[in-house]
Amino acid sequence: MSSPNPVPHTAAEETVEQSLYEVSRKIYPRSVTGWFATWRWVFVWLTQLVFYGCCWLPWNGRQAMLFDLVERKFYIFGLVFWPQDVFFLAVLLIISAYSLFLFTAVGGRLWCGYACPQTVYTSIFLYIEEKVEGNRMARMKLDSLPLSLRKVYLKAGKHAIWIIFSLWTGFTFVGYFTPIKTLTTGLLHLDLGPWEIFWILFYGLATYGNAGWLREQVCKYMCPYARFQGVMFDPDTLTVTYDRERGEPRGSRARKTDHREKGLGDCIDCQLCVAVCPTGIDIRDGLQYECIGCAACIDVCDQVMDKMDYPRGLIRYSTENAIEKHWGWRDILGHVIRPRVLVYSGVLMVIVIAFLWGLAVKPELRVDVLRDRAALAREVEGGLIENVYRLQVMNVSEIPQRYEISVQGLKDIQLIGPRVVAVAPATTQALTLQVRVPPESGKTGASTIYFDLRSVSNPRIAVHEKARFLLP
Amino acid sequence: MRQRLMWVLWPSFVVAGVAEIAFFTLVDPQELYLFGEPVYFSRMATYSIGFFGFWAVCAAASFFTCFLQRSAKEVNAHRHPAAH
Repeated sequence: MSSPNPVPHTAAEETVEQSLYEVSRKIYPRSVTGWFATWRWVFVWLTQLVFYGCCWLPWNGRQAMLFDLVERKFYIFGLVFWPQDVFFLAVLLIISAYSLFLFTAVGGRLWCGYACPQTVYTSIFLYIEEKVEGNRMARMKLDSLPLSLRKVYLKAGKHAIWIIFSLWTGFTFVGYFTPIKTLTTGLLHLDLGPWEIFWILFYGLATYGNAGWLREQVCKYMCPYARFQGVMFDPDTLTVTYDRERGEPRGSRARKTDHREKGLGDCIDCQLCVAVCPTGIDIRDGLQYECIGCAACIDVCDQVMDKMDYPRGLIRYSTENAIEKHWGWRDILGHVIRPRVLVYSGVLMVIVIAFLWGLAVKPELRVDVLRDRAALAREVEGGLIENVYRLQVMNVSEIPQRYEISVQGLKDIQLIGPRVVAVAPATTQALTLQVRVPPESGKTGASTIYFDLRSVSNPRIAVHEKARFLLP
Repeated sequence: MRQRLMWVLWPSFVVAGVAEIAFFTLVDPQELYLFGEPVYFSRMATYSIGFFGFWAVCAAASFFTCFLQRSAKEVNAHRHPAAH
């Protein structure tokens, strides 16, 4: 404040301060059926079958999907990623981000409405809640009643099912980082490691808290995507839209009334779109950041339109331009291809191709050469100069391998030590090698030599690794 | 108060997760030294302790931000309780 006098708190300022995070009232979403609700359940089933199921799939005698933190190796079906492959992880994140940008630009918040874990688990928890406590009205009534045996029974039952489901979710989550079979054996023998127990409880609690208690508040107050998704929107982005021109002026009327004659629009102001909204907004107020694009209001409004014998689609997936210019589906689809979408798709395609190419040429053998710094160069029998090296031979493939080792780069160079090394699948073998040369082979100081390792069974798996040889 | 708690704990949780992934992808916990001694915990323990360490540090930064966000009016309020 630049004013020298103390300015008292104005009521307006206080409202601004508070309305930013208003005291949240509990939302009781009414369950909804319809085209979009069905699609949401399809995605709930798909994502959860993948999540709860993938950790049980076997592959090559191990878990198909395992992010083994203890061994520092990630297994995804036939692929094994080492910490050296962090580049792939980074590119994968970029691909996910760009896919999200592309989806958002074309179809709005498809991710939020159908696939986000917050939506998926809230749907599952709401389903459990409805099965135990009853529909929206029954739940609101139950909450308003004083404490009774029935209320305790219902609430305890609901929370018990939620907690069991959350613990199973936590167990599955940890099963992606510790082999799930070991985890199951540990659980059956009540012999789990302390950190495993901790993370199962932690993830379980997060599921229970987010899907059972916080729900839409996660989307409204915690999700960064909800805040910046508007940046990807343009007037041709599909969003859940209320057709104001057709709906207004809203008002109740009898089914048989000719509402046009009474000067009314198609909206009968039944408030069902508000009742089904999981974030408790009124879509008729226009596009809001709280709208997660779940389309529950479309489903319920279509049912109302059917009952009234009005055409469907008072609330529908449409674009800002389409509503304003009265476009049909043909025009909307025609505007999908536009510069923003082309740029997102172009960049995404380039990255995906680079990623796949990188995976295809991912080496199956890695070698790290470290010169033994303690020994430097020393003279051995026959007047030869010897340098000692430590080799880390990493078999990145899933097949046991034997590698032939040779060295070149200086005249009359000799290798002392094993010539063949056997390395088990996805492991590292360390070995110490001595390399000797006659003193006249090179100049005083450091010379470059090369270690060559070649798989005995598949000569295409080979590494040509540089090292430095010191001559006194 | 609840919002401030969320402002402190939630962004720091997210950033701690990112920091954890970045740090432990590059550094093997078994190669760390603690007070000059090699770390003797299991990798799982180091990862977990590391995560809460990151979270604590990030939460401290968020807390400091929240603390500095108070307006002059709020800071001065206790000095002139009867001014308004």
